[in-house]
Amino acid sequence: MHDFIERITAYIHWAIFLLLEGLSGFLLFQYNHYQGSIWLTQANIVAAQVHKWEAHILSYLSMPTENAELTQRNIILQYDNDMLRHELAKLCTDSTNTQKALAKTLHGMTLIPAHIVNNSVRQKDNMLVIDAGSADGIQPEMGVVSGTGVVGIVSQVTPHYALVMSILNSHSSISCRLRDTEYFGYMKWKGGKTLRASMDEVPRHARIKKGDIVETSGFSNVFPPGIFLGKVAEIHNSSDGMAYELEILLSTDIANLRHVNVINNHSKEELDSLLAR
Amino acid sequence: MIISILHRLAWTLMLLTLQVFVLNQIHPGGWGAPLLCPLAVIILPLGTSRAGALLWGFALGFVTDIFAGTIGIGSAAMTFIALLQPPLLQLTVPRDSEEEFSPSFVTMGRWNYLRFMALLFLLHHIIYFALEGFSYFRLTDIAISMSVSYAASMLIAIIVETIRNPKR
Repeated sequence: MHDFIERITAYIHWAIFLLLEGLSGFLLFQYNHYQGSIWLTQANIVAAQVHKWEAHILSYLSMPTENAELTQRNIILQYDNDMLRHELAKLCTDSTNTQKALAKTLHGMTLIPAHIVNNSVRQKDNMLVIDAGSADGIQPEMGVVSGTGVVGIVSQVTPHYALVMSILNSHSSISCRLRDTEYFGYMKWKGGKTLRASMDEVPRHARIKKGDIVETSGFSNVFPPGIFLGKVAEIHNSSDGMAYELEILLSTDIANLRHVNVINNHSKEELDSLLAR
Repeated sequence: MIISILHRLAWTLMLLTLQVFVLNQIHPGGWGAPLLCPLAVIILPLGTSRAGALLWGFALGFVTDIFAGTIGIGSAAMTFIALLQPPLLQLTVPRDSEEEFSPSFVTMGRWNYLRFMALLFLLHHIIYFALEGFSYFRLTDIAISMSVSYAASMLIAIIVETIRNPKR
């Protein structure tokens, strides 16, 4: 104890020095207008810089939430875009009853946000797991999309998680169409490159060119129409020569995904019954 | 010992008077006034406690600040040299010196004392004029003021020290 007190007293002059210099500083800035104003200006500049850093850090920390919101917003905008195109088409030409019925179903849809917690792209039948399940309203056969396009279809659900069949799965088959010509077919993945898939059963008389946009047709009721799938990269003949087989450059990089949304189409049953007539 | 303390107090009072009533009014070439009060810290004897030296330095600086209208500037500079005076003095004088050893031309030798005094004056003036100017954009003006004041202060300090310790 005695030793301790001795050590403290040996360094007490440093405390006194700091105290006296602090007091001098206080007096200097308090009673000298010139130094006080410079100090205030510099302190404000420093404080502003610190606040700027703080704002940057906070905005960086809030990025996951913003990303999720942007993803959702992107999907809704894709939707709106498709709606407007259809509205425009209706103004130009008369639409069929089926098209009108499909357009109506777009309104009865909600998006359930989720994060990918497990993902694979290197296998033949790739699956991914999301952190939302039946407790969040997710059911099998619901479509899963990201801000850049289609991701997959819900296969199985537990209360808090869902297993999703990725579009990079040999069993996956997404009903799709060419945006401009409305010719439809099925998009499948045959392994290999994760950004390439193929669209089958496109008739020979269809006018197709590279770069045409491929989107969901809405005929399967899993996905509403107008969600991006990708663009036509190559045009090949099918094996029997009766149709075209299109190589599609996928718009969604499944290997680099975090935020997704599950589409809950409230009118699915009603639409199924309508199409069954 | 008491006589020695009284002697030092009298000199300090004389230095303060000289500083306040004479030197504060002199501005060679319009630049900085000579500052003699660091001498009151420089002559503190070897045995002075470090806390005591700091309080002494601060108090002297504060008094000169009041008369010069430079509140906080002199006290900061004087406190700073009061922190350095004891260790610098210990480095300069022989190890077996008595606690009452008081630095001067006579006790330390002319050159040793001049170097000791010049170093502490320089450090004091750097702090003082840096705080007084308080701007990166006036570095030249600050440097000229400091140099003029430093030269004048050293000259007057040498004269005062010569009078305080006349050759026997």
